[in-house]
Amino acid sequence: MKTLRHYTGALVAAGLAIGAGVAEADDVALFSDKGIWTEQLNEYSDAAREAMGVGLDHNAYPAADQYIAFIQSSLASGELPQMFTWWTGGLYRDIIDTGEVADLGALWDDAVASGEFDPGLREFLSVDGKVYGVPLHLSTWTAFYNKDHFETAGITSEPQTWDEFLDAAAKLKAAGITPFHATVQDGWRGFIWFQEIMIRTDPEAYAGLHTGDVAYDSEPVRNAFKIWSDWYDKGYFTDPRSREEAADFARGEGAIYLMGDWVIGQLEARGMKAGEDFSGFIMPNADVSMPSSIIVEGAPIMLSKEGAENPDVVAALKHFMSLEGANVWAAVSGNAIGNLKANSPNAVVEKINADMAERGTLALDRWWEAVPSDLQSDFAAEFAAFMLDPTMENAEEIMARMQEANAEYWADQ
Amino acid sequence: MTRSEQLKQADATLMAEIGQDQLRHKIRKTERRNFLTAFAFFAPALLLVGALLLFPVGYNIYLSFTKWKKFKGYDQFAGFSNYTKLASNHAFEDALINTSIWVGASVIFPLAIGFFFALVFRSVRGEEAFKSIIFFPKILAPTAVGVIWFYFYAPDGVLNRLISLASGGDPVDIGWLYEASTITPAIIVTFVWQTVGLVMVLTLIGLAALPRDPIEAATIDGASNWQIMRHIIVPLLLPTLLVVTILSVLAGFTVFDLLWVMGSGYPGKRSLSLVVMMYFEAFQKSSWAFASAIAVVIGMVVLAITWVQALLQHRIDRMTG
Repeated sequence: MKTLRHYTGALVAAGLAIGAGVAEADDVALFSDKGIWTEQLNEYSDAAREAMGVGLDHNAYPAADQYIAFIQSSLASGELPQMFTWWTGGLYRDIIDTGEVADLGALWDDAVASGEFDPGLREFLSVDGKVYGVPLHLSTWTAFYNKDHFETAGITSEPQTWDEFLDAAAKLKAAGITPFHATVQDGWRGFIWFQEIMIRTDPEAYAGLHTGDVAYDSEPVRNAFKIWSDWYDKGYFTDPRSREEAADFARGEGAIYLMGDWVIGQLEARGMKAGEDFSGFIMPNADVSMPSSIIVEGAPIMLSKEGAENPDVVAALKHFMSLEGANVWAAVSGNAIGNLKANSPNAVVEKINADMAERGTLALDRWWEAVPSDLQSDFAAEFAAFMLDPTMENAEEIMARMQEANAEYWADQ
Repeated sequence: MTRSEQLKQADATLMAEIGQDQLRHKIRKTERRNFLTAFAFFAPALLLVGALLLFPVGYNIYLSFTKWKKFKGYDQFAGFSNYTKLASNHAFEDALINTSIWVGASVIFPLAIGFFFALVFRSVRGEEAFKSIIFFPKILAPTAVGVIWFYFYAPDGVLNRLISLASGGDPVDIGWLYEASTITPAIIVTFVWQTVGLVMVLTLIGLAALPRDPIEAATIDGASNWQIMRHIIVPLLLPTLLVVTILSVLAGFTVFDLLWVMGSGYPGKRSLSLVVMMYFEAFQKSSWAFASAIAVVIGMVVLAITWVQALLQHRIDRMTG
């Protein structure tokens, strides 16, 4: 009996210890699909708990589809998490349409008034005049490049024009280095180079794709596929079948890697030093008279209406937006959230921000968020199918299929 | 008959009627009590079947006739529009073809190979070791099997290296899991590798239960091994083989884990089978009504196949007495 009591006591103690290890009593739960940042969010949480008594208990779902299904069932059962991350674009509008997420206008009023946040960012996260999100990260989509590869190929400066960009690719290829790195890993990455070629060659058509005004089998799209196919034909791309995209780039696969700057943390974790081993540049436009532009991606943190009534949740979000919170988050994760007074998370982001300020670079929506969410995953799969068979014959079939679905979607709106 | 006798007879008739009524009433009461007792016993099962099977199936059928508004649920009745959309959907067409291939392959290959192994290993030295080795993949989780075989088929994986070695060292770069023509056969090989052990064990159980007399009699009469196999063993084993076939058909229809894991890099993943497409539409696109229509189609096809199998079972039962 004594032994039983002994074991029971030990089990209870172990349970309490495990519980204490998972979350403090005052932590608020943050749900997301960002498992890649669990460690970083835990570090941030420790610092936040120390600073203001409330940490974040991160609950990560391993895949976006499972996470979306979880949020959908939470909405159906009337138990939307009090604090959760989401996406901008179509999915953002869809969830706001349910009327279950909170207007964060009061938080933003203070943040903008303090000069820490730009009103433009508030506008970026607003729908019908109300703002519903705070960025977990605000990432620009940059052409990262391997400095050693550029040096080996004799490229002495970053490409400033389309011709210089093409010239750099040719030099890299001639030096035995595959110029561009792109894969179909995780199924969603296929759109990246399509998006970039479209905004560099015909930004108006790119915008028109998202409003149904431009067809997916129109000439601007065909032209983008021709350029893309031609680059594949010249051997400019790495093997799209890799499942370790960031790790491959860190290992020296490919010289130029188009990706959101949130990947910098992953590259640094694999031994590359931002600013020393790699840097980044804003992709040049094909037509020099076009204004400089760059894709901006923001993953918002949102609150349910119930969450907005919980003082701990509001305090946790307010701290995340604060200068102190933004600096800790930048330091541990390499992500910026748009706080203008916060430190740059790394040398490459600092450089890109400076380039953008100097050129008056316009921020554009990422294709993933801009495309209607009903078409998103199907079309991403089509782009990936092109990358695996990058011929114009395949491109024509893909464009026809995409336009069929696109026309059907817009006819139904 | 006197007036008094008439009254007595009327009384007797009345009493008889009252007695019958009471008897009928008593019988009815007993029947009702029996029914309520029986109902009390099967009510929990009825409740579970109703809540976990009948209601979801009925709700799923209803959903398939609605239009689903993302994150808000169904917002209007849509008639057969989800079904007409299915009819013109290229991915659905491919998924239907692939599912048919899966069902066919999941019956033919595991059955043929499992049956062969059962015959070979039932009487060799060290049969237990052989049987354990062949059954071993079945105890592994399909997801783990998918991951292992994903790397086996990878462009720089074991299979391409083996082909390269066999062909004189020239590099081989076949994307087994990235091309429409190779992905389904490649995953079917993995599926057969994993399931053949179970089929072998079930067949061995069936073989062990066969009566010895007809086989011994046929041997004494000079029948060859092939004749014994064809005219005695296979007919007597038919009930077992039918069970194996039913299990294989269901496995072919419902295979998901392997396809999801091994097809993770394939852009046409949703067209790999009807079940994968249903999951993709429901969980990746949140098109629940459309996914429900796919589920209804799967249910109808499975019902049709099960009906044919029940007919076969009936015929075999009659044949084997």
